[in-house]
Amino acid sequence: MCFTQNFWSFLIGGIANGFLYALIALGYTLVYGVLQLINFAHSEVFMSGGFAGYFVLNAVIGNSHPSGVDSVLLVILGTAAGAVGGAAIAYLLERVAYRPLRRRKAPRLAFLISAIGASYFLYNLAGKEFGRNAVSMPAAYTNGTVFTVFGAQVQTYYVVIAIAAMIMLVVLDRIVATTRLGRGIRAVAQDAETASLMGVNIDRVIAQTFILGGILGGAAGFLFGISSGVIYTMGFTPALKAFTAAVLGGIGNIRGAMLGGLLLGIFENLGVTCAPTEWRDVIAFGILVLVLIIRPTGILGERLGRSA
Amino acid sequence: MHRKIIRIGVPLVAVALTLGTFGGVATASTSHSSDPTYTIAYEGPLSGGNAQLGLNMKYAVELAIRWANQGKTFGKLPFKLQYTEQDDQGSATQSPTAAEALVTNSSVVAVVGPAFSGATKAAEPIFSAADLATVSPSATNPQLADEGWNNFFRVVADDNAQGPYDADYIAKALKLKSIYTVDDASSYGSGLVGALDTRLTHDGVKFTHQTAPGTTQCQAGTGNVQEYGALASQVVSSKAPLLFYGGYYCDFALFAKALRAAGYKGQLMSDDGSLDPHYVSEATAGIANNTLVTCACAALQKNVEDNSFGTAFKQLAGFASGTYTPEAFDATNVIISVMKSIGPHVTRAAIVKALHKTTYLGITKTIKFEKNGNVSGKTIYVYKVEKGKIVELGSTLSLIKSS
Amino acid sequence: MSAFAATAVSRVRLVRQNVEIRRLFACVFGMLVLALMTGPSGSNTAPVSGFTGSLFHPRVLVFLALGVGLWAVLTAQHRWGEVIRRTSNNVMTLPRRVMPDRRVRLFVYAVALAIAIILPLHVNAFWQDVLVDQIGIYVLLAIGLNVVVGYAGLLDLGYIAFYAIGAYSTAFWTGALPVHPPMVVNAFWAIPFAIATAMLAGVLIGAPTLRLRGDYLAIVTLGFGEIIQIVATNLQGVTGGAQGVIGIPHPSVNLLHVHYSWLIDPLPYYYLLLAFVVLALIAYSFLEHSRVGRAWTAIREDEVAAESTGINVLKYKILAFAIGASTSGFAGMLEASKISFIEPGDFTVQLSILILVLVIFGGMGSLLGAVLGAAVLQWFPWYLREHPLFGFQDQDLFIYLGAILVIMMIFRPEGMIPSRRRKREIGLSEHGVGTADAMSGSSSEIS
Repeated sequence: MCFTQNFWSFLIGGIANGFLYALIALGYTLVYGVLQLINFAHSEVFMSGGFAGYFVLNAVIGNSHPSGVDSVLLVILGTAAGAVGGAAIAYLLERVAYRPLRRRKAPRLAFLISAIGASYFLYNLAGKEFGRNAVSMPAAYTNGTVFTVFGAQVQTYYVVIAIAAMIMLVVLDRIVATTRLGRGIRAVAQDAETASLMGVNIDRVIAQTFILGGILGGAAGFLFGISSGVIYTMGFTPALKAFTAAVLGGIGNIRGAMLGGLLLGIFENLGVTCAPTEWRDVIAFGILVLVLIIRPTGILGERLGRSA
Repeated sequence: MHRKIIRIGVPLVAVALTLGTFGGVATASTSHSSDPTYTIAYEGPLSGGNAQLGLNMKYAVELAIRWANQGKTFGKLPFKLQYTEQDDQGSATQSPTAAEALVTNSSVVAVVGPAFSGATKAAEPIFSAADLATVSPSATNPQLADEGWNNFFRVVADDNAQGPYDADYIAKALKLKSIYTVDDASSYGSGLVGALDTRLTHDGVKFTHQTAPGTTQCQAGTGNVQEYGALASQVVSSKAPLLFYGGYYCDFALFAKALRAAGYKGQLMSDDGSLDPHYVSEATAGIANNTLVTCACAALQKNVEDNSFGTAFKQLAGFASGTYTPEAFDATNVIISVMKSIGPHVTRAAIVKALHKTTYLGITKTIKFEKNGNVSGKTIYVYKVEKGKIVELGSTLSLIKSS
Repeated sequence: MSAFAATAVSRVRLVRQNVEIRRLFACVFGMLVLALMTGPSGSNTAPVSGFTGSLFHPRVLVFLALGVGLWAVLTAQHRWGEVIRRTSNNVMTLPRRVMPDRRVRLFVYAVALAIAIILPLHVNAFWQDVLVDQIGIYVLLAIGLNVVVGYAGLLDLGYIAFYAIGAYSTAFWTGALPVHPPMVVNAFWAIPFAIATAMLAGVLIGAPTLRLRGDYLAIVTLGFGEIIQIVATNLQGVTGGAQGVIGIPHPSVNLLHVHYSWLIDPLPYYYLLLAFVVLALIAYSFLEHSRVGRAWTAIREDEVAAESTGINVLKYKILAFAIGASTSGFAGMLEASKISFIEPGDFTVQLSILILVLVIFGGMGSLLGAVLGAAVLQWFPWYLREHPLFGFQDQDLFIYLGAILVIMMIFRPEGMIPSRRRKREIGLSEHGVGTADAMSGSSSEIS
């Protein structure tokens, strides 16, 4: 029966997927908040995180089978590597592809094209340098059932994602709400000109926003790669889905991106029993269109400046 | 006014002269030695999401040509062979243009390809009009043989051959009563599983069928990897003893991982798109072990792994031989063999005629073409992953007889 | 000690702010990236081999030298730098400076038309096919999308959906689909059917969604583009499914005393396409300067003001959508009947994005820009395949394309040949007055 069959197992799987979407969606929402720009190249940030995590884990683990505390440390190492990789690419994007356009006050469609160009460039370069086959991530832990909830098995993988994501989301929320950087981001999102008059260094805030988004997106790339492997084309679909999640929750709204991501993950999974697999994307987009027509600013509305 | 006309006229003339380079198409230059030089072309995806499959085949064609020139495969040849390629990205919108490029290149006498069925359907009318032989290593859509193209050949059995034989194997050798079938919504996967499902009904086997579109992790699909998790849960609760996947190795590896993670204990089975060592490396040996893979190609292990072909290919390409590599090697060699039988003066039409009459022992099978271009002999072989290596069990017919 | 540190920090800051040093870094960095792009490839098992092969190799010295040389040219204080900059500026603005004169313009158009008619007769069949399949179709699609994006300022990321609809309706009306039409027509007479179906689709999609804001419209159109592809794949009984539709007949005319059949030869398709392109150019040029065009400009520049002067914004937006869709529908018909085969894989989202890139690269809102942008960006890769530049491999094409896009947008974001009005809008937006495009249409919020 729709939604009720295998409910708990789909729900749990959906929440795990939702966390991944949320992490990626935050990258879009943060950048949109400060620049009103859809960062089309965020899919490559995600991919870079995946590759960075892969290379680091490959070098450290090799052929061994770690367990226990080693596993925890390796997961943290992998996530950190992914975060650094993603942040580096995000910063590079900002400096090379967007900042020159901002200097010239170029029209926003130009930003879009530059983003698309950067995306083509990055993922094809990755394909050239790293090969076009997918590679599987060395296992930092052995996947098994950690515990069961109402008869649904919760895999180690889900626990890993949930913990990593929740930590990052909470930290991000606190950064935006309390720190100086966060205040800067909210100020620039609300009114860039006035913020600069108040002494906020716009360039630095924007660069740091990109880096923040890159950290989250890169870490998501690593986490995604644990179960799905890493390949140069891996960014396209997850990023597209995450982007719709961000829009669903209200683009520019941080809590909205988190909510949108989780909702998308959950309903995508639960909907498996409602419609054949091949129609699910159609249904998902149909729902998105309906939501946007009824509530154009997304579920939580779109104000980064008032994320608190 | 005069100045303005000059200021426009000069750049326009410059533009026209530049556009005049349109006429300068690079054609393969004939060598200046006494041997005539002919070009064998390869058309397939070399860029874009389907690139890996195309590269698998490209290097096989290059290797075959290299060995032929060195005299390793056919002894001394009365001509020299050159290689050229055209990238059609596996797309039906680019393949007609790629086909025209090959047709207008007077040095090209035969084509290995096009690799994808869709690209073949779009390009074949152009090849046919020029009577240029195309021997495809991988286009399996059955419709291709029905269009009446005299120059069309393929060294793989089409979907209507593999699907039913696989179904018979499942019904009569494995003696199963109900299974789960999944395809990847590609022209290849959905065609094969469609034929399989029809035959299963005929054999009295019940099946549940789902489509899981190929993902971005694999052949430029737009599908979502996350869907495998949910689908795996459904397969587990269906308690089907066997799952047949129609698609490619990379998606199958991800799906297999999801299935095992969801607790599926049944038999995994797939088609020749999964006959690639990357399936084992991506799904990890523990999960890939005991998977059954079918293919219309024989003794692959023996010929590819132990033979110098495998090592030479890896040296040339930088990666191990995979899906369709041996087929591409055979396709090139069957062309070269008929060229040798024609003699030093080869024409396109002569190759087409000779291909219709030839019998050639390749590394995947004995190649003989039916009138419509299909390869005759529909023996399907079953392979199994054992201890991380793919080994052949035997042909479906012999396995059915012995069960 | 602290004084030393202070001067060091201030010196570093001076260096960082020094434009010329930054330019040096940029030039050298750019050239190193080029070295990487043209170098050997890596693989799964040897991921750093590409990097080491490109950068830790004597060839990197050539690129470093080029980088320094480029910097020297750009920074040159004396005449040469100035001369180069002035010439490049002159060349870029040449069309705009000479075009205003009407006689000159008509002369140029006549010459261009003559070249367009005569050129294909002097190239081989391959280039003729490139002119139709790879350049001509995209020029037509760019012209159509230019109406949507350039005139009305709507960000459409799913434009290829109308192309697909045109192709499949051609297949339907010529009897090639599994479902049969009430009457089977010749592919040539399927043209009005394809165009009408596409226009209808444009209206149906536009009506509920064109109220949405710029960015949201982008998502919705993107989603719709994907949906069309999925529907084509899934409805096996209607659209032939993933295997596609084979056997779509070529067009032919059998009317009164005119008997003509298009076959495989690309040349006749080229002239059919050229006729339609010329028609579209003339029609859209008139449209641009008509009441409708002025309404679009008003909507683009300030939607609230436009609404308050009595313009029915939604109606004009839907009109733009439908007109763009009609062009796309014809393109779909032409390709379907030329190649005789269509499959869902032909209609990807990437293609929609590519056409958007062509329009904006060429110059938004400018017909000439759309045509030239599409022509140049589509011609160049095929030219490279035949005459490869040093170190260029087929597989790496998109790396170069992406880099070109980024560089183009940095140095000339308005596109190669922007319309005069757009140039003015961009100039105004650079001074903070208004915005130059549809992406910040915040005024159209409803609730």
